[in-house]
Amino acid sequence: MTDRRRINGPAGATVPPIFDDAGLQDLTSSKGRSRAPNAIRKMYLKTGVTPSASGSAYLEIETSATPGVSGLKLSCSVHGPRSLPRSAPFSPHIVLSTHVKYAPFATKQRRGYLRDPSERDLGIHLEAALRGAIIADRWPKSGVDIIISIVEGDQDREASRLQGDEVWDMMNALSGCITVAAAALADAGIDCVDTVAGGVAALVQNAGEDSTPTIVVDPIPSEHERILAACCVAYLPTRDEVTNLWFRGDLPASDLDLYTSLVEKGIQASKNANRVLVGCLSETVE
Amino acid sequence: MASSQHVLLSPAELAYLHASLSLTPPIRPDGRSPTQFRPLVAETGILPGTNGSARICFADGTEAIVGVKAEVERTAQRPGEETVFLEEGGAGDDEEEEGEAVDKRKGDASWVEMTVEIPGLRDDDSGTAFLSAMLSEALLADGEFAKRLWINRRFHWKLYLDIILISPPLSYPLPLLSLTTHLALLSTRLPRLKSEGDEDPFFDDDWAAAPYLYPRTPTSVAKPTATTTTTRPPITLLVMAVGNNIIFDPSKEELAVADVALAVSVTSTASSHHIDTDTGHPAAEAGRNLRLLSIRTIDPPSRLTPPAVANAANAAYGASNGAALGTQKMLEARTAETEAVEGVWRAPRGGAKRMVLGALVQKVLERGGVVDEVLDALEGVDLG
Amino acid sequence: MPITILPPKPSRPINNNNNNPSEDDALSDSDSGVDGGDADGDIPMHHPPSKRTRLTTTTTTDATTSIVTPGEQITSDPQWMRGHGTYITPSTTAITSSVAGTITRTNKLLSVRPLRARYTPEVGDLVVGRIVEVQAKRWRVDVGSTQLAALPLSAINLPGGILRKRTETDELQIRTFFAEGDLLVAEVQQLFGDGGAVLHTRSLKYGKLRNGVFVAVSGVGGGGGVVRSRRQVWTMDAANGAGQIDVVLGVNGYVWISRHVETPDAEEGKAGITNMEESVSTTMYSSQNDRIEVETMREIARLRGVVTALVENGLRVDEDMVVRGYHEAVEMAMVSAEGSDDIYLGGEKGQQLAAALTGA
Repeated sequence: MTDRRRINGPAGATVPPIFDDAGLQDLTSSKGRSRAPNAIRKMYLKTGVTPSASGSAYLEIETSATPGVSGLKLSCSVHGPRSLPRSAPFSPHIVLSTHVKYAPFATKQRRGYLRDPSERDLGIHLEAALRGAIIADRWPKSGVDIIISIVEGDQDREASRLQGDEVWDMMNALSGCITVAAAALADAGIDCVDTVAGGVAALVQNAGEDSTPTIVVDPIPSEHERILAACCVAYLPTRDEVTNLWFRGDLPASDLDLYTSLVEKGIQASKNANRVLVGCLSETVE
Repeated sequence: MASSQHVLLSPAELAYLHASLSLTPPIRPDGRSPTQFRPLVAETGILPGTNGSARICFADGTEAIVGVKAEVERTAQRPGEETVFLEEGGAGDDEEEEGEAVDKRKGDASWVEMTVEIPGLRDDDSGTAFLSAMLSEALLADGEFAKRLWINRRFHWKLYLDIILISPPLSYPLPLLSLTTHLALLSTRLPRLKSEGDEDPFFDDDWAAAPYLYPRTPTSVAKPTATTTTTRPPITLLVMAVGNNIIFDPSKEELAVADVALAVSVTSTASSHHIDTDTGHPAAEAGRNLRLLSIRTIDPPSRLTPPAVANAANAAYGASNGAALGTQKMLEARTAETEAVEGVWRAPRGGAKRMVLGALVQKVLERGGVVDEVLDALEGVDLG
Repeated sequence: MPITILPPKPSRPINNNNNNPSEDDALSDSDSGVDGGDADGDIPMHHPPSKRTRLTTTTTTDATTSIVTPGEQITSDPQWMRGHGTYITPSTTAITSSVAGTITRTNKLLSVRPLRARYTPEVGDLVVGRIVEVQAKRWRVDVGSTQLAALPLSAINLPGGILRKRTETDELQIRTFFAEGDLLVAEVQQLFGDGGAVLHTRSLKYGKLRNGVFVAVSGVGGGGGVVRSRRQVWTMDAANGAGQIDVVLGVNGYVWISRHVETPDAEEGKAGITNMEESVSTTMYSSQNDRIEVETMREIARLRGVVTALVENGLRVDEDMVVRGYHEAVEMAMVSAEGSDDIYLGGEKGQQLAAALTGA
């Protein structure tokens, strides 16, 4: 799908510039992880940031590439429940529509105004994660729109290499989207069975020959030499249920324990994020 | 719209389907066993204008065609990578390069472009984007596929995979598309390279000499049961759970009562080039070396189904009028809303238990299980 | 074996009817008309092109079936009247076909029945339909036709007896009777000029469907599918101790197979017509399934497999074929490796079943 309404720059073909910097390190080496393998990055979550929306939330996750500088910035607004248009067929449940969009300036490679396939893909993942959490039959004949703008992507701007492809970044973005959408849904007063939060875990191989792969939570691609596999989990803590699971990588089928422990770590990351979410929601009430 | 299509079924039908699929063993509406797939008709090499092609159709008339086309494209150079100088080195260096050629091969996800065309859906439909993302994800997950497209440091093949469904699908088309793509990739050939090193690529124009993208071993043709350990393209299977039952290749009606549905991508490889993550385990001496590539939850349409009204809460039940609904009846109605009543359909809420998800994945990856048999059957297809 | 992958078969073996194998498709398909048609009356007829052997297995029309294509002149004799599927070219008397199908004659009326078409409702047809839309005073029902059929609120039996008047409360509660997705069996009461149908369920035989499975096959008009026959609804004894099973073959090609539910009045005796109405209507709008035994579910699935196999192999679906097919399927399962629990009738097994039914 190409953008026919606006004149965009040439697609592809160019490489984003890298500016020389006094503190620029060796471009090819990765920096290494500065946190414990089980620690997720600090995040800032606030609800009710958009007064005009029924519910809204803002999420910021710090980047550990440069201390103090924020990485992922997400803004979510929820519109609804509101009545469906007259033309829409009857629905016994609330009609959920999710919309995830990177701001054009959010990533190194500029994004267009129209949603590209990867953004649509994220939207579907988010929808699957949320649909399990909301009690849809409480709101028949109504619809709700969940709109997430990724104001700033979680990419290390000083690294010149594109680490594999962008899919690992997408997993981090999705986990943030799930958490921020859950906060915004709660802010909008839409019935949910539980608060859902996202978590990412990855099997990584660090720089250096023959290092054994380890499992870390909340991975940053630029911190590791190679990511072998990763999974993003949307988890309901009190019900102990998973609403969305997205795994990608390359694991031997004979060794299911590796996969199981990866999912367990993802759930653990999700539990940590959920604590922030619950804390933020109870803070709003007080 | 959700990743899977919405189906209109009555609550009574849904309750019946759910009950019959929860039995041990489950009774599927079309009588298949839980691991049985719908019978397929498959052929490859049907499109002479492509590098590889395949067609699969079901008995109900659903049909998918995949065509693979390859083009030579210049590789973009990124700063930080060693720059390429055409004149660099003499004849002596060339030999060295050949020695390390395996290490120098690099792949990029953008070298593969996959499109899915489903009639009746808009071309920017999210469901289509989800399907093509899922299929290309499985293809690229191990990072090995793109390396096959490497020509030299300046050029690579760009592979276009176009997947077309001939008619609107009667069930969630994922397994059909995946199996067709698998066969098309197996039959894909790229012209033989005649040039050497980093010069502009120049190819042999003899099509018969063109090597297959997935090299074949002679044993695979002779007897499908012979163990072949060559790398195969990935396959993505749709598997769902109802109660304690795990059901493969669900039809549309079955998917409508699923508690959870997963798309699991697996491949079989020659294990040499992979970083061995399971060094502690004894190497499997026979059979395939299966690898798990990707898992995605499919949002089952069951969450969108209309709930049934239990007789106790039904205003049209019995001779009582709506106005005569007593408090007793109201109380009954409340219990009916919160508790599950036998024979009354209720759309599932919440997610899937960890155990269920684990069991689904385990069932797929079982040694000598469904994946093995599907791969065996696919090997039996004549690659024309 | 969980998966069977077959190589593509060459197109169906040609079963030439005119005992003249040398004269192949190419000739009989051409409009030459020299291949010895049996001129019946004034109508020049061609032999059926041999590709359409499917039609010979059906008994919709008499033996001298002939196929015309759109634009083909049927007759120029002015004595015939123009019926469905035909038109008259201006300034001539020639009747020309407008669809591909078989010629049928009713006295002096010439019409062409299309080989394959969507269901066209006729008054009195028993249909199975699915509610797709609920409006203020009526439902819109999908019956597989070109248009949605209408079911007015006034055309259903309201709970609480036949003598009750329709009130505003009923209008407000319209969704408690039938909601979107519900399946029902009804009769075509009336037709509009544009082909739309009005249904009614004012009989104890009709109403909401439950305790079973639904399968859609193509409706009337050539090839396989449900054909209009003497009985569209029957109760049959199932094998393997499964009790009784109801089969509803909607004329529109929608089929419902369910567990037979005894109507309460059968045991209680004749309690009077109003009473009976009352007791039956209690379950009329229920969407709660009764308890169904495993054996019954298995036999219901087997029957569904029989219907699907009949359609996939281009056979007609009516009481006779379904009952015979079912008994055949039960016997096939007896001799199969898995025993009587084997209910799978897809792929080759379906072809085997069809062969057993037609070959006999």
